[in-house]
Amino acid sequence: MFELFQFIVRSRNFILFVLLEVLSFYFIINTNNYWSVRFFNTSNYYAAKILDWSNKAQEYARLRQVNTDLAEENRRLNTLVTQLQQQKPQAPTSYQTDSIFATRFQYRVARVINNTTQHPNNYITLDKGSADGIKPGMGVISPTGVVGKVKICSEHLSIVTSILHSDYMVSSKLVKAGVIGTVKWDGINPTRMKMLDISRNTKMYRGDSVVTSEYNAIFPSGLLVGRVIRVGEMPNQTFHDVTLSVGTDFNNLSFVYVVENKLQGEQEKLEETTEPERR
Amino acid sequence: MTLREILNIIFLFVLYLALQILIVRNLVLFDVAFCFVYVACILLLPAEMSLSATLLTAFGVGIVVDTFYNTLGMHAAATVLMAYVRPAVVRFQAAQRGFDSRIVFSIHEMGSRNFFYYVLTLTFIHHFALFLIEANNVLLFLPAMVKIIASTVFTSVTIMLVQYFSRN
Repeated sequence: MFELFQFIVRSRNFILFVLLEVLSFYFIINTNNYWSVRFFNTSNYYAAKILDWSNKAQEYARLRQVNTDLAEENRRLNTLVTQLQQQKPQAPTSYQTDSIFATRFQYRVARVINNTTQHPNNYITLDKGSADGIKPGMGVISPTGVVGKVKICSEHLSIVTSILHSDYMVSSKLVKAGVIGTVKWDGINPTRMKMLDISRNTKMYRGDSVVTSEYNAIFPSGLLVGRVIRVGEMPNQTFHDVTLSVGTDFNNLSFVYVVENKLQGEQEKLEETTEPERR
Repeated sequence: MTLREILNIIFLFVLYLALQILIVRNLVLFDVAFCFVYVACILLLPAEMSLSATLLTAFGVGIVVDTFYNTLGMHAAATVLMAYVRPAVVRFQAAQRGFDSRIVFSIHEMGSRNFFYYVLTLTFIHHFALFLIEANNVLLFLPAMVKIIASTVFTSVTIMLVQYFSRN
Protein backbone atom coordinates (compact mmCIF):
# COMPACT_ATOMS: atom_id res chain seq x y z
CA MET A 1 0.00 0.00 0.00
CA PHE A 2 2.80 2.36 0.96
CA GLU A 3 4.60 1.54 -2.28
CA LEU A 4 1.54 2.35 -4.33
CA PHE A 5 1.27 5.66 -2.54
CA GLN A 6 4.94 6.35 -3.19
CA PHE A 7 4.49 5.48 -6.88
CA ILE A 8 1.63 7.92 -7.18
CA VAL A 9 3.64 10.69 -5.52
CA ARG A 10 6.65 10.01 -7.70
CA SER A 11 4.73 9.99 -11.00
CA ARG A 12 2.06 12.54 -10.02
CA ASN A 13 3.02 14.82 -12.89
CA PHE A 14 2.60 12.10 -15.45
CA ILE A 15 -0.77 11.06 -13.95
CA LEU A 16 -1.94 14.68 -13.93
CA PHE A 17 -0.78 15.09 -17.53
CA VAL A 18 -2.68 11.99 -18.66
CA LEU A 19 -5.79 13.04 -16.73
CA LEU A 20 -5.82 16.51 -18.27
CA GLU A 21 -5.28 15.13 -21.77
CA VAL A 22 -8.06 12.59 -21.30
CA LEU A 23 -10.36 15.35 -20.10
CA SER A 24 -9.44 17.52 -23.12
CA PHE A 25 -10.05 14.68 -25.55
CA TYR A 26 -13.33 13.89 -23.84
CA PHE A 27 -14.32 17.50 -24.53
CA ILE A 28 -13.13 17.28 -28.14
CA ILE A 29 -14.82 14.00 -28.97
CA ASN A 30 -18.15 14.65 -27.23
CA THR A 31 -18.72 17.99 -28.88
CA ASN A 32 -22.19 18.12 -27.41
CA ASN A 33 -21.16 17.50 -23.83
CA TYR A 34 -22.81 19.57 -21.10
CA TRP A 35 -19.72 21.67 -20.41
CA SER A 36 -19.01 22.74 -23.96
CA VAL A 37 -22.65 23.54 -24.65
CA ARG A 38 -23.42 25.27 -21.39
CA PHE A 39 -20.30 27.22 -20.42
CA PHE A 40 -17.20 27.14 -22.57
CA ASN A 41 -18.19 28.80 -25.77
CA THR A 42 -18.73 32.32 -27.03
CA SER A 43 -22.34 32.38 -25.86
CA ASN A 44 -20.96 32.50 -22.34
CA TYR A 45 -22.04 35.84 -20.84
CA TYR A 46 -18.54 37.11 -20.07
CA ALA A 47 -17.03 35.87 -23.34
CA ALA A 48 -19.83 37.53 -25.28
CA LYS A 49 -19.34 40.76 -23.34
CA ILE A 50 -15.61 40.83 -24.12
CA LEU A 51 -16.19 40.11 -27.80
CA ASP A 52 -18.82 42.83 -27.85
CA TRP A 53 -16.31 45.41 -26.57
CA SER A 54 -13.73 44.24 -29.04
CA ASN A 55 -16.20 44.52 -31.91
CA LYS A 56 -17.26 47.98 -30.83
CA ALA A 57 -13.64 49.12 -30.95
CA GLN A 58 -13.09 47.57 -34.36
CA GLU A 59 -16.29 49.03 -35.75
CA TYR A 60 -14.72 52.48 -35.97
CA ALA A 61 -12.05 51.15 -38.28
CA ARG A 62 -14.70 49.56 -40.51
CA LEU A 63 -17.20 52.42 -40.70
CA ARG A 64 -16.22 53.34 -44.24
CA GLN A 65 -16.86 49.84 -45.50
CA VAL A 66 -20.08 49.54 -43.50
CA ASN A 67 -21.35 52.80 -44.98
CA THR A 68 -20.63 51.60 -48.48
CA ASP A 69 -22.40 48.31 -47.82
CA LEU A 70 -25.44 50.06 -46.39
CA ALA A 71 -25.62 52.42 -49.33
CA GLU A 72 -25.50 49.44 -51.66
CA GLU A 73 -28.21 47.66 -49.72
CA ASN A 74 -30.36 50.79 -49.72
CA ARG A 75 -30.01 50.99 -53.48
CA ARG A 76 -31.28 47.44 -53.80
CA LEU A 77 -34.19 48.04 -51.42
CA ASN A 78 -35.12 51.31 -53.13
CA THR A 79 -35.39 49.52 -56.44
CA LEU A 80 -37.58 46.88 -54.86
CA VAL A 81 -39.85 49.35 -53.08
CA THR A 82 -40.47 51.44 -56.18
CA GLN A 83 -41.14 48.31 -58.17
CA LEU A 84 -43.72 47.12 -55.63
CA GLN A 85 -45.29 50.57 -55.37
CA GLN A 86 -45.58 50.89 -59.10
CA GLN A 87 -47.23 47.49 -59.38
CA LYS A 88 -50.07 48.53 -57.06
CA PRO A 89 -50.97 52.17 -57.67
CA GLN A 90 -54.21 53.60 -56.30
CA ALA A 91 -56.40 52.62 -59.17
CA PRO A 92 -59.51 50.69 -60.09
CA THR A 93 -59.11 46.96 -59.61
CA SER A 94 -59.29 46.21 -63.30
CA TYR A 95 -56.20 48.36 -63.90
CA GLN A 96 -53.12 46.23 -64.49
CA THR A 97 -49.65 47.72 -64.39
CA ASP A 98 -47.40 46.91 -67.26
CA SER A 99 -44.33 45.17 -65.87
CA ILE A 100 -41.93 47.31 -67.90
CA PHE A 101 -43.64 50.39 -66.50
CA ALA A 102 -43.41 49.06 -62.94
CA THR A 103 -39.71 48.30 -63.20
CA ARG A 104 -38.81 51.48 -65.06
CA PHE A 105 -36.79 52.93 -62.18
CA GLN A 106 -33.25 51.76 -61.61
CA TYR A 107 -30.89 52.98 -58.88
CA ARG A 108 -27.14 53.51 -58.79
CA VAL A 109 -25.04 54.49 -55.79
CA ALA A 110 -22.66 57.43 -56.02
CA ARG A 111 -20.66 59.46 -53.55
CA VAL A 112 -20.79 63.22 -53.22
CA ILE A 113 -17.33 64.71 -53.65
CA ASN A 114 -18.26 68.36 -53.84
CA ASN A 115 -21.30 70.19 -52.62
CA THR A 116 -22.32 73.81 -52.13
CA THR A 117 -25.36 75.28 -50.44
CA GLN A 118 -24.46 78.93 -50.05
CA HIS A 119 -24.87 80.15 -53.64
CA PRO A 120 -28.17 81.09 -55.26
CA ASN A 121 -27.56 78.28 -57.78
CA ASN A 122 -26.00 75.21 -56.21
CA TYR A 123 -24.41 72.20 -57.87
CA ILE A 124 -23.22 68.86 -56.50
CA THR A 125 -20.38 66.76 -57.95
CA LEU A 126 -20.62 62.95 -57.86
CA ASP A 127 -17.82 60.40 -58.27
CA LYS A 128 -19.63 58.39 -60.95
CA GLY A 129 -20.09 59.34 -64.56
CA SER A 130 -21.11 58.07 -67.96
CA ALA A 131 -18.79 55.05 -67.54
CA ASP A 132 -21.11 53.87 -64.75
CA GLY A 133 -24.24 54.43 -66.81
CA ILE A 134 -25.18 57.86 -65.52
CA LYS A 135 -26.74 60.18 -68.08
CA PRO A 136 -27.85 63.81 -67.91
CA GLY A 137 -31.49 64.13 -66.87
CA MET A 138 -31.50 61.40 -64.26
CA GLY A 139 -32.83 62.16 -60.79
CA VAL A 140 -30.69 62.07 -57.67
CA ILE A 141 -32.03 61.23 -54.22
CA SER A 142 -30.52 60.82 -50.78
CA PRO A 143 -31.68 58.41 -48.05
CA THR A 144 -33.77 61.26 -46.61
CA GLY A 145 -35.17 62.95 -49.68
CA VAL A 146 -34.82 64.45 -53.12
CA VAL A 147 -31.42 65.93 -54.06
CA GLY A 148 -31.58 67.08 -57.65
CA LYS A 149 -31.10 66.17 -61.28
CA VAL A 150 -27.96 65.23 -63.24
CA LYS A 151 -26.89 68.13 -65.44
CA ILE A 152 -23.55 67.17 -67.04
CA CYS A 153 -21.63 63.90 -67.16
CA SER A 154 -17.97 63.29 -67.89
CA GLU A 155 -16.59 59.78 -68.01
CA HIS A 156 -16.08 59.38 -64.26
CA LEU A 157 -17.78 62.41 -62.74
CA SER A 158 -21.12 64.09 -62.99
CA ILE A 159 -22.58 67.40 -61.92
CA VAL A 160 -26.01 67.54 -60.38
CA THR A 161 -28.29 70.54 -60.28
CA SER A 162 -29.30 70.65 -56.64
CA ILE A 163 -32.92 71.40 -55.76
CA LEU A 164 -31.31 74.44 -54.11
CA HIS A 165 -31.20 76.10 -57.52
CA SER A 166 -33.22 79.08 -58.62
CA ASP A 167 -34.52 77.41 -61.80
CA TYR A 168 -35.26 74.00 -60.37
CA MET A 169 -38.81 72.94 -59.67
CA VAL A 170 -40.09 69.64 -58.37
CA SER A 171 -43.65 68.54 -59.02
CA SER A 172 -44.81 67.51 -55.56
CA LYS A 173 -47.83 66.47 -53.61
CA LEU A 174 -49.13 67.26 -50.13
CA VAL A 175 -49.82 63.86 -48.62
CA LYS A 176 -52.64 64.76 -46.21
CA ALA A 177 -54.24 67.46 -48.31
CA GLY A 178 -53.78 65.43 -51.50
CA VAL A 179 -52.99 68.47 -53.59
CA ILE A 180 -50.30 68.80 -56.23
CA GLY A 181 -48.02 71.81 -56.40
CA THR A 182 -44.50 72.85 -57.28
CA VAL A 183 -41.61 73.08 -54.85
CA LYS A 184 -38.97 75.70 -55.49
CA TRP A 185 -36.11 77.19 -53.54
CA ASP A 186 -36.24 80.89 -52.81
CA GLY A 187 -32.45 81.12 -52.57
CA ILE A 188 -32.23 82.32 -48.98
CA ASN A 189 -32.00 79.48 -46.47
CA PRO A 190 -30.73 76.03 -47.60
CA THR A 191 -33.03 74.26 -45.13
CA ARG A 192 -36.25 76.01 -46.28
CA MET A 193 -38.18 75.82 -49.54
CA LYS A 194 -41.41 77.24 -50.88
CA MET A 195 -44.34 75.35 -52.28
CA LEU A 196 -46.22 77.19 -55.02
CA ASP A 197 -49.62 76.87 -56.66
CA ILE A 198 -51.57 75.75 -53.58
CA SER A 199 -54.94 77.42 -53.83
CA ARG A 200 -56.29 79.25 -50.80
CA ASN A 201 -59.30 77.05 -50.28
CA THR A 202 -57.11 73.99 -49.68
CA LYS A 203 -57.10 72.85 -46.06
CA MET A 204 -53.50 72.90 -44.89
CA TYR A 205 -51.91 70.91 -42.11
CA ARG A 206 -48.74 71.77 -40.21
CA GLY A 207 -46.11 69.00 -40.52
CA ASP A 208 -47.78 67.53 -43.60
CA SER A 209 -45.25 65.64 -45.74
CA VAL A 210 -44.52 66.86 -49.22
CA VAL A 211 -43.56 64.02 -51.58
CA THR A 212 -42.81 63.76 -55.28
CA SER A 213 -45.98 63.43 -57.32
CA GLU A 214 -46.93 60.88 -59.94
CA TYR A 215 -46.57 63.55 -62.64
CA ASN A 216 -42.83 63.51 -62.13
CA ALA A 217 -40.89 61.96 -64.97
CA ILE A 218 -37.53 61.72 -63.27
CA PHE A 219 -38.38 60.66 -59.71
CA PRO A 220 -40.53 57.77 -58.53
CA SER A 221 -43.62 59.05 -56.76
CA GLY A 222 -43.72 59.21 -52.98
CA LEU A 223 -40.16 60.35 -52.26
CA LEU A 224 -39.92 62.85 -49.43
CA VAL A 225 -39.20 66.42 -50.47
CA GLY A 226 -39.88 68.20 -47.19
CA ARG A 227 -42.38 68.97 -44.44
CA VAL A 228 -44.73 71.93 -44.10
CA ILE A 229 -43.60 74.17 -41.25
CA ARG A 230 -45.40 77.44 -41.93
CA VAL A 231 -48.50 78.44 -43.85
CA GLY A 232 -49.09 82.09 -44.60
CA GLU A 233 -51.61 83.97 -46.67
CA MET A 234 -50.38 85.94 -49.62
CA PRO A 235 -52.41 89.19 -49.65
CA ASN A 236 -54.36 89.81 -52.85
CA GLN A 237 -53.45 86.39 -54.16
CA THR A 238 -55.28 83.19 -54.61
CA PHE A 239 -52.48 81.00 -53.26
CA HIS A 240 -51.11 79.90 -49.87
CA ASP A 241 -47.60 80.96 -48.92
CA VAL A 242 -46.27 77.55 -47.86
CA THR A 243 -42.81 77.12 -46.32
CA LEU A 244 -41.22 73.64 -46.10
CA SER A 245 -38.26 72.30 -44.22
CA VAL A 246 -36.09 70.39 -46.71
CA GLY A 247 -36.00 66.62 -46.22
CA THR A 248 -32.43 66.17 -47.41
CA ASP A 249 -29.70 67.43 -45.11
CA PHE A 250 -27.47 69.04 -47.74
CA ASN A 251 -24.68 69.72 -45.26
CA ASN A 252 -24.18 66.02 -44.57
CA LEU A 253 -24.61 64.49 -48.01
CA SER A 254 -22.28 61.53 -48.56
CA PHE A 255 -23.92 58.70 -50.49
CA VAL A 256 -26.70 59.42 -52.97
CA TYR A 257 -28.69 57.32 -55.41
CA VAL A 258 -29.01 58.18 -59.03
CA VAL A 259 -32.43 57.17 -60.33
CA GLU A 260 -32.82 56.21 -63.91
CA ASN A 261 -36.27 56.21 -65.46
CA LYS A 262 -35.88 53.86 -68.39
CA LEU A 263 -39.08 55.13 -70.02
CA GLN A 264 -38.23 58.82 -69.63
CA GLY A 265 -37.00 59.16 -73.21
CA GLU A 266 -40.06 57.44 -74.58
CA GLN A 267 -42.40 59.60 -72.47
CA GLU A 268 -40.70 62.84 -73.53
CA LYS A 269 -40.74 61.89 -77.17
CA LEU A 270 -44.43 61.04 -77.05
CA GLU A 271 -45.30 64.24 -75.25
CA GLU A 272 -43.28 66.29 -77.73
CA THR A 273 -45.64 65.30 -80.51
CA THR A 274 -48.36 67.39 -78.91
CA GLU A 275 -46.08 70.43 -78.53
CA PRO A 276 -47.13 72.23 -81.76
CA GLU A 277 -50.83 72.05 -80.86
CA ARG A 278 -50.29 73.60 -77.43
CA ARG A 279 -48.95 76.80 -78.88
CA MET B 1 8.05 32.78 -5.40
CA THR B 2 7.63 36.27 -4.08
CA LEU B 3 4.42 38.27 -4.33
CA ARG B 4 6.08 40.50 -6.91
CA GLU B 5 6.80 37.54 -9.15
CA ILE B 6 3.26 36.23 -8.82
CA LEU B 7 1.82 39.64 -9.74
CA ASN B 8 4.19 39.75 -12.68
CA ILE B 9 2.94 36.37 -13.89
CA ILE B 10 -0.71 37.39 -13.52
CA PHE B 11 -0.04 40.56 -15.51
CA LEU B 12 1.67 38.44 -18.18
CA PHE B 13 -1.38 36.18 -18.46
CA VAL B 14 -3.85 39.03 -18.74
CA LEU B 15 -1.66 40.72 -21.36
CA TYR B 16 -1.20 37.67 -23.58
CA LEU B 17 -4.76 36.40 -23.30
CA ALA B 18 -6.12 39.87 -24.09
CA LEU B 19 -3.74 40.12 -27.04
CA GLN B 20 -4.86 36.70 -28.27
CA ILE B 21 -8.60 37.17 -27.82
CA LEU B 22 -8.99 40.81 -28.81
CA ILE B 23 -6.43 41.30 -31.53
CA VAL B 24 -4.64 38.38 -33.11
CA ARG B 25 -7.77 36.20 -33.14
CA ASN B 26 -8.72 38.04 -36.33
CA LEU B 27 -5.22 37.90 -37.76
CA VAL B 28 -4.70 35.20 -40.37
CA LEU B 29 -2.06 35.56 -43.05
CA PHE B 30 -2.72 34.01 -46.49
CA ASP B 31 -5.32 31.68 -44.91
CA VAL B 32 -2.55 29.43 -43.52
CA ALA B 33 -0.61 31.35 -40.89
CA PHE B 34 -2.51 31.63 -37.62
CA CYS B 35 -1.12 33.37 -34.60
CA PHE B 36 -1.48 31.75 -31.17
CA VAL B 37 0.58 34.19 -29.21
CA TYR B 38 -0.98 33.04 -25.93
CA VAL B 39 1.48 30.08 -25.75
CA ALA B 40 3.99 32.67 -24.53
CA CYS B 41 2.25 32.75 -21.13
CA ILE B 42 3.30 29.13 -20.57
CA LEU B 43 6.72 29.55 -22.21
CA LEU B 44 7.59 32.45 -19.93
CA LEU B 45 6.62 30.76 -16.65
CA PRO B 46 9.69 30.44 -14.41
CA ALA B 47 11.49 27.09 -14.49
CA GLU B 48 11.30 26.76 -10.73
CA MET B 49 7.49 26.49 -10.83
CA SER B 50 6.38 22.91 -10.17
CA LEU B 51 5.30 20.86 -13.17
CA SER B 52 1.87 20.08 -11.66
CA ALA B 53 1.13 23.76 -11.26
CA THR B 54 2.34 24.44 -14.80
CA LEU B 55 0.12 21.69 -16.21
CA LEU B 56 -2.97 23.00 -14.42
CA THR B 57 -2.18 26.56 -15.55
CA ALA B 58 -1.74 25.38 -19.13
CA PHE B 59 -5.07 23.57 -18.99
CA GLY B 60 -6.79 26.70 -17.66
CA VAL B 61 -5.27 28.93 -20.34
CA GLY B 62 -6.21 26.39 -23.03
CA ILE B 63 -9.83 26.30 -21.84
CA VAL B 64 -10.08 30.10 -21.83
CA VAL B 65 -8.78 30.30 -25.40
CA ASP B 66 -11.05 27.41 -26.44
CA THR B 67 -14.03 29.30 -25.07
CA PHE B 68 -13.37 32.12 -27.52
CA TYR B 69 -12.63 29.86 -30.47
CA ASN B 70 -15.60 27.56 -29.74
CA THR B 71 -13.28 24.54 -29.87
CA LEU B 72 -13.55 23.17 -26.34
CA GLY B 73 -10.59 20.88 -25.57
CA MET B 74 -8.31 21.42 -28.59
CA HIS B 75 -6.19 24.28 -27.28
CA ALA B 76 -6.30 22.76 -23.81
CA ALA B 77 -4.91 19.42 -25.07
CA ALA B 78 -2.14 21.06 -27.12
CA THR B 79 -1.15 23.49 -24.39
CA VAL B 80 -1.02 20.76 -21.71
CA LEU B 81 1.18 18.66 -23.99
CA MET B 82 3.49 21.59 -24.55
CA ALA B 83 3.71 22.32 -20.82
CA TYR B 84 4.49 18.66 -20.12
CA VAL B 85 7.40 18.42 -22.58
CA ARG B 86 8.78 21.84 -21.65
CA PRO B 87 11.22 20.67 -18.91
CA ALA B 88 12.60 17.95 -21.20
CA VAL B 89 13.10 20.46 -24.06
CA VAL B 90 14.78 22.90 -21.70
CA ARG B 91 17.13 20.21 -20.33
CA PHE B 92 17.99 19.04 -23.84
CA GLN B 93 18.67 22.52 -25.19
CA ALA B 94 20.56 23.52 -22.05
CA ALA B 95 22.89 20.56 -22.45
CA GLN B 96 23.38 21.20 -26.15
CA ARG B 97 23.76 24.97 -26.15
CA GLY B 98 25.28 25.29 -22.75
CA PHE B 99 23.02 27.41 -20.59
CA ASP B 100 21.70 26.84 -17.12
CA SER B 101 18.40 24.96 -17.17
CA ARG B 102 17.24 26.78 -14.00
CA ILE B 103 17.16 30.03 -15.88
CA VAL B 104 14.55 32.79 -16.22
CA PHE B 105 13.11 32.55 -19.71
CA SER B 106 13.71 35.88 -21.41
CA ILE B 107 15.76 37.31 -24.26
CA HIS B 108 17.74 39.26 -21.71
CA GLU B 109 18.84 36.18 -19.74
CA MET B 110 19.22 33.64 -22.53
CA GLY B 111 20.28 35.72 -25.50
CA SER B 112 17.93 36.11 -28.45
CA ARG B 113 19.30 33.10 -30.33
CA ASN B 114 18.77 30.59 -27.53
CA PHE B 115 15.43 32.12 -26.64
CA PHE B 116 14.25 31.93 -30.25
CA TYR B 117 15.15 28.22 -30.50
CA TYR B 118 13.35 27.55 -27.22
CA VAL B 119 10.21 29.39 -28.42
CA LEU B 120 10.33 27.83 -31.89
CA THR B 121 10.63 24.24 -30.61
CA LEU B 122 7.80 24.43 -28.09
CA THR B 123 5.56 26.45 -30.43
CA PHE B 124 6.08 23.80 -33.07
CA ILE B 125 5.07 21.03 -30.63
CA HIS B 126 1.97 23.00 -29.63
CA HIS B 127 0.92 23.79 -33.21
CA PHE B 128 1.68 20.27 -34.37
CA ALA B 129 -0.68 18.82 -31.77
CA LEU B 130 -3.29 21.54 -32.27
CA PHE B 131 -3.58 21.38 -36.06
CA LEU B 132 -3.52 17.58 -36.19
CA ILE B 133 -6.31 17.40 -33.61
CA GLU B 134 -8.20 20.01 -35.61
CA ALA B 135 -7.63 18.21 -38.94
CA ASN B 136 -8.80 14.91 -37.43
CA ASN B 137 -8.25 13.14 -40.76
CA VAL B 138 -5.26 11.49 -42.44
CA LEU B 139 -6.13 13.09 -45.80
CA LEU B 140 -5.75 16.53 -44.29
CA PHE B 141 -2.21 15.83 -43.10
CA LEU B 142 -0.43 17.82 -45.82
CA PRO B 143 -2.64 20.93 -45.59
CA ALA B 144 -2.27 20.70 -41.81
CA MET B 145 1.53 20.53 -42.14
CA VAL B 146 1.53 23.71 -44.23
CA LYS B 147 -0.56 25.42 -41.58
CA ILE B 148 1.66 24.08 -38.79
CA ILE B 149 4.88 25.39 -40.34
CA ALA B 150 3.47 28.76 -41.39
CA SER B 151 1.77 29.30 -38.05
CA THR B 152 4.84 28.24 -36.05
CA VAL B 153 6.93 30.84 -37.82
CA PHE B 154 4.24 33.49 -37.45
CA THR B 155 3.63 32.80 -33.74
CA SER B 156 7.35 32.61 -32.88
CA VAL B 157 8.13 35.86 -34.66
CA THR B 158 5.20 37.55 -32.93
CA ILE B 159 6.36 36.33 -29.52
CA MET B 160 9.91 37.55 -30.23
CA LEU B 161 8.61 40.97 -31.29
CA VAL B 162 6.42 41.30 -28.18
CA GLN B 163 9.42 40.28 -26.06
CA TYR B 164 11.68 42.84 -27.69
CA PHE B 165 9.24 45.63 -27.08
CA SER B 166 8.32 44.63 -23.52
CA ARG B 167 11.88 44.03 -22.40
CA ASN B 168 11.94 46.97 -20.05
